Amino acid sequence: MDHDNPSRRQFMVAVGNLASAGWIALNWPDIAQAAQPMNHHAMHGSHAAPSGSALKRILTPAEEKEVEAIANQIVPGGKNPGAREAGAIDFINNALASFFGGQLPSFREGLLDFNKAYSAAYGAEKPFSAAPAAQQIDFLGTVDKTPFFQAVRRLTVLGLIALPKYGGNRNNLGWTLIGVEDNHMWAPPFGYYDQDYAGFEPYPGTKPYTADPA
Amino acid sequence: MVSKMYKTSETVDFVVVGSGAAGGIMARELSRAGHSVVLMEQGPRLGPDQFEHDELKYRNLSGITNNPATNPQSFRHTPDETAKPMDGRNPLTYARVVGGSSTHFNANFWRLHEIDFIEGSRWGPIEGASLVDWPITYAELEPYYTKVEWEVGVSGLAGASPFDPWRSKPYPMPPLPVKSSGVLFERGARKLGLHPFPAPMAINSVFYKNRPPCAQCGLCGGFGCEVMAKSSSVWTMIPEAEATGRCEVRSLSYVFRIGMDKTGRATGVHYFDGKKVEQFQKARAVVVCANGSETPKLLLNSATNGFEHGLANSSGAVGRYLMFNKGGGAMARFEHPLNEYKGANVTRVMHDFYDSDPKRGFYGGGGFDARSGGPLTWGQSVPKGTAAWGQGFKEYLESYTYWMQCAGHGTSLAQENNRVDIDPELKDAWGIPAMRVTYKDHPDDVKHAKWQVERAVEIMDAAGASQIVPGEVGEANGGVHLLGTCRMGNDPRTSVVDKYNRTHDVKNLFLCDGSSMVTSGRGQPTQTIEALAFRAAEYISKFAKANEI
Repeated sequence: MDHDNPSRRQFMVAVGNLASAGWIALNWPDIAQAAQPMNHHAMHGSHAAPSGSALKRILTPAEEKEVEAIANQIVPGGKNPGAREAGAIDFINNALASFFGGQLPSFREGLLDFNKAYSAAYGAEKPFSAAPAAQQIDFLGTVDKTPFFQAVRRLTVLGLIALPKYGGNRNNLGWTLIGVEDNHMWAPPFGYYDQDYAGFEPYPGTKPYTADPA
Repeated sequence: MVSKMYKTSETVDFVVVGSGAAGGIMARELSRAGHSVVLMEQGPRLGPDQFEHDELKYRNLSGITNNPATNPQSFRHTPDETAKPMDGRNPLTYARVVGGSSTHFNANFWRLHEIDFIEGSRWGPIEGASLVDWPITYAELEPYYTKVEWEVGVSGLAGASPFDPWRSKPYPMPPLPVKSSGVLFERGARKLGLHPFPAPMAINSVFYKNRPPCAQCGLCGGFGCEVMAKSSSVWTMIPEAEATGRCEVRSLSYVFRIGMDKTGRATGVHYFDGKKVEQFQKARAVVVCANGSETPKLLLNSATNGFEHGLANSSGAVGRYLMFNKGGGAMARFEHPLNEYKGANVTRVMHDFYDSDPKRGFYGGGGFDARSGGPLTWGQSVPKGTAAWGQGFKEYLESYTYWMQCAGHGTSLAQENNRVDIDPELKDAWGIPAMRVTYKDHPDDVKHAKWQVERAVEIMDAAGASQIVPGEVGEANGGVHLLGTCRMGNDPRTSVVDKYNRTHDVKNLFLCDGSSMVTSGRGQPTQTIEALAFRAAEYISKFAKANEI
């Protein structure tokens, strides 16, 4: 959600007006401090992120169920949440209903082939999504080079990491999984190896020089 | 700021086509010199609050770049193939927004070295390539490199690299703070006796020219900078051009043909406005700064009586000699988190291997840097031996913050068959014939890229990496550094523009962008494009005032 608190408003007013560049210069420490705790979502667009109900859906419930089951084996749950918990299926559904809509026909065709192949291997009584995990993994091992599986894989990973407003990465679970903190700005040290950096040591024969601060 | 408005029927001194790295400078310099200027831009004008931290939008959905659905291109490797549109993407990518590609660049600002301008003489002919000298030298361009650093804003540490070309002034700002990737890159390279140094970046490290320092958000390449710390034309040159009261920035204006009269002079530009209505802006002279793909496309689409093969194309060189900057590198994993998603993308570079060396057995040179990107591309591919799905893949995803890239950036040789021309059938959303791209790497470019991969592996190994993934060097099928397609030269039979960026064939038509470059440099062309723009603008203004246009 978009925290439209005074800090954020102050920051957005400052960056939203080129004529205020001088004001920014004068007030930068305060602005920076104000923006630091700002939720990352504040910079995710000038428009409020769409709520769950604004997301589009094009897959049928049955299709959703199978695709979600595949996604859940691509990035399984467990100690840390996986694709299912992060809502990757909502991203996939939204994407195929809108900005990746061109992929929908081949995606559906691929899903049909996937289901047929699964039925041929394990019978038509129960779908892939109802199978035990070990059986799902065994079957996916036989189809993981197909364009359909590659498409589900690509969309699943995008759904983990793209902004929550696209449907996936629910509660930032995808970012949490890969170790990304949700923030708009940072200051050094950034990581383990730069925290004790002693400074740049000039090479023999060189004379690094800087501009006069005046 | 309220921009000056000109009527299309009013004959302005200059129309500048393209508002990017070169176009912004051209507009500022010409308007400051007293000329009336209309600056045309295909894309919209966005304010700082309209630039988002949305990787999907900018990396996958053509948020501010040319969109393959509306601006399609076709591609082939050799002239005997039939060019076809690529699956869901264009081979040549550039920004369509006020500020052009300076809006979304990574902001690596390397000067060319003295050797870059004279490699034709140094190396002699190379089979299959057209490696020639520039008509200007480093010494002639040096004052303008300095002007870029001080007027546009570049941070760095002068004299830190033993391989730096000479310079007349230091950078106006100190370098950006180092990241973990920079520390590790420096550690590994120094162990090997190499000389990494703080990266020169067109990003404010301190308050400079009324713009704040970098917020270290980590999203530079591909993104507009909403805090205005990145020295993009939209934050630097364009407001200063408008402040003269003589420059109008006309966004959502797609120039598709240059108007010509019977005497062979340019009369202005035909363009579609934001409602796709055709307009014509009269001008005394036209300066095209539309990038190395759109500039030749515009000239070729402007063919008319007396210029049947495209404007300014008596040499046949318009669109030819396309270069990208080939390179090779490696990914490396370390024991502790680097958190490369934080901070400006590059903080250390190294130029020990900048010059080509005959001992290697091929032409090619380049630089290396330690760099990072945003998280969205993570996991779309995996190293050999790593599971592509399942529990093993999940563990790989979880290792994101432990990785960095050691990237090599290098030369691409100019070749006559590598070109941008007009596809015989494909049209864009405005009905304008689309560009066709033909490109195949020169064998030396591939050898050099593979050689760079080996060096990157050595550096990361010396840095103590626990896992190294050498980059794969494949055939180029597109690029973002769009260079050489209207090359500069003294001979009208072999080049398109003279050393002042005036076309040999049309007296009042000038071109200045990556297309002017004669050789590719070593991977970071924007500062050179901007230096050329400052230099060309100075001469163009002199010519105009002397009534020599």
